[in-house]
Amino acid sequence: MKYTILSPRVGTPGDEYVPVDGVNIDALIAGGFIEQSTVKVPKGAKTKTDTNEE
Amino acid sequence: MATTTYLSSPNLTINSVSMQDQCHGLTFTRTIEALEKTAFGSGSRVYTAGLENSTLSCDLYLSFDAAETYATLKNLVGTQTDVSWSASATSPGTATNPTMTLTGAYLEALPYDMALGALGQLTVVFTGGVYSVVEV
Repeated sequence: MKYTILSPRVGTPGDEYVPVDGVNIDALIAGGFIEQSTVKVPKGAKTKTDTNEE
Repeated sequence: MATTTYLSSPNLTINSVSMQDQCHGLTFTRTIEALEKTAFGSGSRVYTAGLENSTLSCDLYLSFDAAETYATLKNLVGTQTDVSWSASATSPGTATNPTMTLTGAYLEALPYDMALGALGQLTVVFTGGVYSVVEV
């Protein structure tokens, strides 16, 4: 799971936030300091299946 | 005589959030509980080390704005987190500017007062955790 920094109190806004053991991630998200990155999973190439029987 | 003067740049980080511009004082007390082991024949009380139970008290200005004091602390009540501090935010973690950390410190309460015409302030106390110092 990736996180993006929103507040300069945590780091440079826009940079990835790398979680450290012991840090309460939920509190950082709830406080508006970081957000969970919305990374879209690329769709796979469409493949046509020929169902016609010849 | 060498002394340490805290003018403007001490740093405090709570749950990886810098509180430097909201903190105006902190008190750290490293405590290792004393367990008495005085036995017959002792002329004075004798103790041995028990569990570590340090406390860090942080004096902060209270702001309800986004990404400020209240937002930092509100979800930490009743949980454990990491708290770090150093005498200077510039080049922390060195022999002359060590970074102290309480790992897994517990925040029991978030007490604050509101008074007309007064600057909002609060003091939070982190208890327990593992104390460590980085002074490379």
